[in-house]
Amino acid sequence: MSAREPARPLAGVSILEVNNPAAPIAVRLAASLAGKIAADLGAAVVKLEPAGGDPTRRLPPFLPIGPEGERSALFQFLNTGKNAVTAPDAGRVEAAGILLKGRIDLLLCEDGDPVLAAAGGRGIPSVEVAGWPAGVADAKAPLSDFTVLALGGLLDMVGDPAREPLRLGGHQGAYAAGLSTFTALMAQLVAKEAGLAPEPARLSLVETMIWVNWKAICGAEADGKAPTRQGDRSEFQVIPCRDGWIALVFTVTQYGAVCDLIGDPRLRDPKFATRAGRIRYGAELYGMLKPWFAARDREAIYAEAQGRGVPLGPAYTPADLLEDPQYLARGFIAEMTHPTLGTLKLPQVPVQWNGRSFAPSPVGATTFEALARVRAA
Amino acid sequence: MSTTKALQGVRVVDFGQLTAGANTSAMLADLGADVIKVESGAYMDLFRAVGARDSEPGWWNRSPQFRFTNRNKRGVAFDLKSEEGRRLVFELIKDADVVVENFRRGVLERLGLTYPALAAANPRIVLASISSQGESGPNRMHASFGSTLDATGGVASITGYADGPPAISGMDVNYPDQIVSLFATGIVIAAVREAKRTGRGAHLDLSQREITSFLIGEEILAAAAGVSATRSGNAQAGIILQDCFRSADGRWVAVTVADETAAAKLPAPDLAAWIAGQPAEQAVAVLAAAGIPAAVSLDGLDLLHRPDLWGHTLIRHEDGSLVKGMPYDFGGRPLEIRRTAPDLGQHTEEVLTGILGLGPAEIERLKTLGVTRAEPSS
Repeated sequence: MSAREPARPLAGVSILEVNNPAAPIAVRLAASLAGKIAADLGAAVVKLEPAGGDPTRRLPPFLPIGPEGERSALFQFLNTGKNAVTAPDAGRVEAAGILLKGRIDLLLCEDGDPVLAAAGGRGIPSVEVAGWPAGVADAKAPLSDFTVLALGGLLDMVGDPAREPLRLGGHQGAYAAGLSTFTALMAQLVAKEAGLAPEPARLSLVETMIWVNWKAICGAEADGKAPTRQGDRSEFQVIPCRDGWIALVFTVTQYGAVCDLIGDPRLRDPKFATRAGRIRYGAELYGMLKPWFAARDREAIYAEAQGRGVPLGPAYTPADLLEDPQYLARGFIAEMTHPTLGTLKLPQVPVQWNGRSFAPSPVGATTFEALARVRAA
Repeated sequence: MSTTKALQGVRVVDFGQLTAGANTSAMLADLGADVIKVESGAYMDLFRAVGARDSEPGWWNRSPQFRFTNRNKRGVAFDLKSEEGRRLVFELIKDADVVVENFRRGVLERLGLTYPALAAANPRIVLASISSQGESGPNRMHASFGSTLDATGGVASITGYADGPPAISGMDVNYPDQIVSLFATGIVIAAVREAKRTGRGAHLDLSQREITSFLIGEEILAAAAGVSATRSGNAQAGIILQDCFRSADGRWVAVTVADETAAAKLPAPDLAAWIAGQPAEQAVAVLAAAGIPAAVSLDGLDLLHRPDLWGHTLIRHEDGSLVKGMPYDFGGRPLEIRRTAPDLGQHTEEVLTGILGLGPAEIERLKTLGVTRAEPSS
């Protein structure tokens, strides 16, 4: 943040993010994402890492160069804007207690961390990120981002029905919960400022994934049958074009526009006129569509389809996104100068606020003793 | 007092459609905001039609999808195509705190409801515009539908079998539609807080595609340094073994073996063969006891019968219907369903009287003109 930049929306808000060494990594990723969003929006976020450092520092993807413990792209992305401090070997909870004696507006913690009790005693609103819903019988069972997708039913929805279910790429089980955690933090903040004496907030990765996958449950409740992954029998498919892949997506009212785009009169066959017909004869339909796509470049297809209101889109890679004209025009990909890693490019918090965006700054580091002195003062 | 009252006194005018917009407003309602959903006979929330179960009169009020996502709101029918309807909605916004919209770009301008126009009438208004690509840039008019954004946001490129095409979450998930409200709600709350402190509202420009890409942020950061991710099925960099294995009872069991320490605790050297000889639940129990994350891949029907996993995310209302709850809880309490999702125009008269202060004659006149018509246009 430059010295001349006007205050960010959460300037003056102070958050203590406490890493619990007993928490699953997926829980850490969720809590870290929430703390990062708050920090990029201007909150002063102190991340109290366990002795030995946050294990995320040693998780991929890794940048090609940089010191051990710093070159994890995952760690750098998830901790922008924060001030990281490692707890002394003895007494992580005590260390958190010392920091909580200073001015802390919100406590962000993980999976039943004993520091919660200290915050509650001081009337500091808290948000606890857990793996499992409260009260579930196997609440202590180990858990990963992958098993969260399985438990939330999302795994079942992606892939080919004849093959194993597929995870969504990245850390979506954790990150969806990270977004919920940020919202819970904001709710706790306004509740505190409204004088409501907020009770502790809690959320779990499994619950958030079920929340995300609500349509599968709604469908099962309504029809007595669960929707599931459709693979190449899916209504919407990702199909090859000359230089990549296109996701062919359209609503029921847009099939006519798809026909106009492709220009093959066979697509007007009455058996394709309804959604049910297009699903029933999907193999035949896609057999007609694919050659048209295979003969064209993805950007040409994208431009022509969008011109006709067909909401298809290319499957862009992360590298593609760095050069994406829309992202470049909006400044979505920020440049961040890291003291040892040099210039990094990464997406910024996805909101423009009166046209303003919030470029991230690298995670900072301090010692516990220095921080405790500042906090006490 | 619970945080579920945190937004008490905050009024939201909700033009949200389907999931991204309507759900953001629902989450604000769950935190105590007075959310007024604005529709009309000509412009209903598409979920009313998409989820319609029959064609009998009143079908537009019975969609499970609509009822799942619009609890705790009031609903009015104002025809925005008419001058009178636009005037009513403008009057409503003049005294509101938040407007949520996910119209196609350009519709708000045509309705005369641009941020400058709204802010001139109400400087503290927060306008949350949720769109496919955002309010600016060369692709601002591009359309998308749920899974388009799996593709254009980058998630699909790193999702899929190692030997296959990119995979999208599909029509029954539309993942990018689901996640946006989890984030947008928090941003709106932050902006309402700022408006209360400063008297100045904000136009929040939220691109669903950017939100999707944000959730693979580390891969974008790595790609900028020349390190590219590829599709690898269920395998994940840094984890020595992760996949689904078929059990003796025909279920898929998802297992993550993080490192060599975990691998040393596996019950057998050939995990796939071992799981193939076990009922799924037994395999999960043995692996969990060894400290190895494992879970049966559940489907919607399984989940319907696992309320222990719902936590506070699904609520069985007293009328028997199931609705979406909150993805978090405060003090361990479930979401309070103060009212079920509104029928089309259910609270029109209540809002015209109670908020806009109109009398019976004026209300009758609007009805006669068709401005408050509460049935779909044929």
